[in-house]
Amino acid sequence: MNVIELKNLTKMYGKSRGIRNISFNVEEGEIFGFIGPNGAGKSTTIRTMLSLIYPTSGSALIFGKDSVKFAPEIKREIGYLPSEVFYYDNMKVKDLLKYSASFYKKDCSHRISQLSKMLDLDLNKKIDDLSFGNKKKVGIVQGLLHEPKLIILDEPTSGLDPLMQQKFFDLLKEENKKGTTILFSSHILSEVQKMCDRVAIIKEGELVKVEKISTLKENNHKRFKLETKMPVSQGFFQMDGVQNLEVKDQITSFLYSGNINSVLEKLTQLELTNLWIEEPDLEEIFLHYYEKENEDEYFSP
Amino acid sequence: MNLFFREMKAARKSLILWCIGSFLMAASGMAKFEGLDSTGESLQQLVSTMPRSLQAVMGTGSLDLSTAVGYYGILFTYLLLMAAIHSLMLGAGIIAKEERGKTAEFLLSKPISRSRIMTAKLAAALVNVLIFNLVTFVFSVISVAKFAKTEDSISDLSLLMTGMFLVQLMFLAAGSGIAASGKKPKRAVSMGTALLLAAYILSIAIDLSQKLEFLQYLTPFKYFEAKRVLIDGGLDPVFILLSIGIVFILTIVAYISFNKRDIQV
Repeated sequence: MNVIELKNLTKMYGKSRGIRNISFNVEEGEIFGFIGPNGAGKSTTIRTMLSLIYPTSGSALIFGKDSVKFAPEIKREIGYLPSEVFYYDNMKVKDLLKYSASFYKKDCSHRISQLSKMLDLDLNKKIDDLSFGNKKKVGIVQGLLHEPKLIILDEPTSGLDPLMQQKFFDLLKEENKKGTTILFSSHILSEVQKMCDRVAIIKEGELVKVEKISTLKENNHKRFKLETKMPVSQGFFQMDGVQNLEVKDQITSFLYSGNINSVLEKLTQLELTNLWIEEPDLEEIFLHYYEKENEDEYFSP
Repeated sequence: MNLFFREMKAARKSLILWCIGSFLMAASGMAKFEGLDSTGESLQQLVSTMPRSLQAVMGTGSLDLSTAVGYYGILFTYLLLMAAIHSLMLGAGIIAKEERGKTAEFLLSKPISRSRIMTAKLAAALVNVLIFNLVTFVFSVISVAKFAKTEDSISDLSLLMTGMFLVQLMFLAAGSGIAASGKKPKRAVSMGTALLLAAYILSIAIDLSQKLEFLQYLTPFKYFEAKRVLIDGGLDPVFILLSIGIVFILTIVAYISFNKRDIQV
């Protein structure tokens, strides 16, 4: 079952900003990464799903229901952590969490104390007096206290120290084991790589690709670095599957995907002094998606 | 109901301050009457010899300044202005503050429809406005009764306060309408205040020049002004209907546009 179904979701504000034709599905029980640089449209997509803003065209189905028409009903089962957390002045953490819980028709007090204990959050402090990281924790507890079926996180880790991040990830994994679906938006690849099953890559308001993390990291991408006696001529590695070619004196490096034998054949023609073949990290693959996009733009008439 | 109580609590401090303001206005204003009272009729004569424009600015008009209620009529203009500002700021603020304070993302991600948010907020604002009205009524009755000789001031004052309530409702609806429909909710309060001042200045302009009298329908400050209510001994049904109509339309505008527009975050 799809928990989230985006169909050609488009939201335009003015001319430049917004998202165009975003379509992807998130299945039940999945941890789905939503990744792209700042300003790519991640928050816009999420806010449209929550009907804080309305789509210009296309639609978002959450739990199979239209996100605009059934907004209040859908939100009963959504926990949302906004990227920037701001709360009402003069409220104690305890009061805010109680207020948040009062919107759901269940008793959340046990869950509140459990979560805040886990995250080391002082319930009796005023929210105004909290540090940014501690405010973020309030946001996390606020988003999880009603045990939602879908958790939407917009840049959740900013402001959390590494230890707390780990606790938070453990918490999410625990929720996920219970069957909770998680949409995790971030511009930090390593955390998405750590957490997610699949990932949607968004750039300048358009969806670049939806891919399994495992596929992204699959062995068809290799980073080659070689040292030769004589500098390699620029045209030498002009072949399918070679990207990001860099020649610096004796050192040549590139990213390769495709049949490993054909590149090895090429290598035998060179007099090598050293050779490294490595697994590229996601960051590199990701950048490569972006660069490929740009190349396409260059070549389009 | 949680949202209603939250709003009541959030508005509590400001309501108390406004009520203190109303008390100071009523008490200090009527205290001046005590000083003037000894001169009695002569004040009335003095004022009537003043130029019309000065009378208009002072808000005396055709009020009988020798009676406590008549004198209170001048004061009422300012109480009405206060009440209008309070209502407008409340109406605009209660809707705009979620976006201004960036709490909109918190509230709007909860399982509550925008209409219900509106209803809870308007209900809280309505109760606030009503409390301000009642408190002002009580202060007015006490301070007028202190100086009234024989006349029955309560019925006059309750008429004035009913008129004030209708004006409050209009500005409350205007404030929330502006905040709910505006593209820039952050500027709702200042836009509303500009509108209110324009309406107030228009009401003075109408007092200054009879030629402008046809414009009286445009400014709620003219609908139930003291000189009209005290002399007629009642509220003009035309203005009552007009007020109700305006409140109704503005409230509908507020609901529809708040449901339709994007929340600014």
